[in-house]
Amino acid sequence: MRAVRSSVGLLVFAAVALLSPLLARSRPWLEDAGGRVVLPAPIPHDPDSVNLDERFQRPGTAHWLGTDELGRDVLARLVHGTRVSVGAGLLACAVALLFGVTLGATAGLVGGRAERAILFVVEIVQAFPALVLVAAAAAFLPPSFLVAALLIGFTGWTDAARLVRAEARRLRTAPFVEASRASGARRSRLLLVHVLPHALPPALATAPYVLGAAVLTESALSFLGLGTPPPASSWGRALADARDVLTTAPWCVLPPALALLLLVLAARRFGDALLPAPRSRMPLA
Amino acid sequence: MPRYALRRLAASLLTLFGVVTLVFVLMELAPGDPAAAARAATGRAVSPEAVAAFRRLYGLDRPLPVRYAAWLSRAATLDFGRSFLDGRPVTRRLAESLPPTLALNGLALLAALLVAVPSGVAAARRPGGRFDRVSGFVFDLLFATPAFVAGLLLLLVFSARLRWTPLFSDPSRGVAGWVLPVATLALASTALIARVVRSCVVAALGDPAALAARARGERGAAAVRRALRRSAGPFAALGASLVPSLAAGSVLVERLFGWPGAGRLLADAVFSRDVPVVAGLTLATGLLVVAAGTCADLLSAFIDPRTCEEPPRLSTAAEVR
Repeated sequence: MRAVRSSVGLLVFAAVALLSPLLARSRPWLEDAGGRVVLPAPIPHDPDSVNLDERFQRPGTAHWLGTDELGRDVLARLVHGTRVSVGAGLLACAVALLFGVTLGATAGLVGGRAERAILFVVEIVQAFPALVLVAAAAAFLPPSFLVAALLIGFTGWTDAARLVRAEARRLRTAPFVEASRASGARRSRLLLVHVLPHALPPALATAPYVLGAAVLTESALSFLGLGTPPPASSWGRALADARDVLTTAPWCVLPPALALLLLVLAARRFGDALLPAPRSRMPLA
Repeated sequence: MPRYALRRLAASLLTLFGVVTLVFVLMELAPGDPAAAARAATGRAVSPEAVAAFRRLYGLDRPLPVRYAAWLSRAATLDFGRSFLDGRPVTRRLAESLPPTLALNGLALLAALLVAVPSGVAAARRPGGRFDRVSGFVFDLLFATPAFVAGLLLLLVFSARLRWTPLFSDPSRGVAGWVLPVATLALASTALIARVVRSCVVAALGDPAALAARARGERGAAAVRRALRRSAGPFAALGASLVPSLAAGSVLVERLFGWPGAGRLLADAVFSRDVPVVAGLTLATGLLVVAAGTCADLLSAFIDPRTCEEPPRLSTAAEVR
């Protein structure tokens, strides 16, 4: 129940991300035959439409959160930026979990040399701060949303791998696994039917934290100008742009900053609710 | 203990080897041709002869195993070649950018310790009390706030609105010129340190040894001092885990405030696809993190020899995050 209630924040962000093309567009929802607007979209502005006559408008009735240095509507860009953040977060999270669970389960179940090799890779990837590794890789690859999200996923799988490995290692000698092995089950069956169903829940419980970290890395990357390339609106890039016009248009800073903070807090809150203990403050060994 | 130290050092050397290899793999990932990238960076058309000369200069015409061997031997001597942008040795550019970054990180760490240790101890004196709950909430919030968001909010208030501080860091303005970047970088570390200090002191105060000391009449500051001393092992791991977060924070903070250090160098080099500089800086970061983890493990083995009895674990630092 706690988990359901605490997932509301995340669901709101996901809904905004999904509906953003409908929520913010200059084309109205309903027109009559004569082309007159019957029902305008809630935020009647395109995120990318440049209008230099309306640069640096303060928040008001025409633009609820004002406009930026190109006359683009801050709210429309904020709403559309949700797609980048939530999308990159989810994609990176999925890649990280898929990678982490597969490698962790293999390491724990197979053992021996394969386990040592996988742990060695975990150790190496963890020797770099995620942002540094992703930024360095971004230097060698063309900038795009997909590249950024995949890179973040490829650096974020190590914690899930450790958790799943520990669980799979414990299960390797469990009676029901031994029985299955004795009756001739192949390794793939052991993995899929017996080990994964038990090893998965603790890994899934880390998903919200992985999501939060991925969202942060994505916006940090966009803030450095290395993430999703320009025309698309992302919160990180909006913050970098806002930094350049801090004195002329201070209203551009708060919306993306608060949205980013709220999304990360919502993810953490959901994660905290999934943990078995009421609130483990410090995961110190 | 000496055997443990040797084993731990050997494990670290192996990890370092992996780190060097990973950076090599990253460099090989580059699609197309670094020569073309250099052409894009300088913005001029380059003749085929110049490209060939460039490829020879950087050894790109040799086969993969040869390049890998060359990379290993250069990495061992910390020679990363010359920057694509200005042709100066990467090592020199790195050395130039380090002092400002070290100053920034040192000041931030000092500020974080000055705030975090007293408030962590104060929170641990009465777990669940009002101060504990309020400071726990504040530190949770700070911990989740990314450095560039916190820095922008500080800039908004102190530079754009109050005009107490310049918009970019400026050492000639005295304290006002550097206080914002230092504070921004310190925020996340403060939260982490305060949380670890709190939970360590709570655990140490609840220890039977603490109870015995209490029975002997030990109170207040003396009890806290002893609790802090008993938590030295976890603190070493904490120190190692601060290194990656400070490194990532430096990249963002230096970019945000125009601080002329290694973090900004990395961001700029990535932006201009200056492959040797990116490789050198990435490798240096990896070396630093591995070295910090090794030092922390050796230190906690020295403080508490019981840790030697376990087989050398991968790294303690990863568990604090």
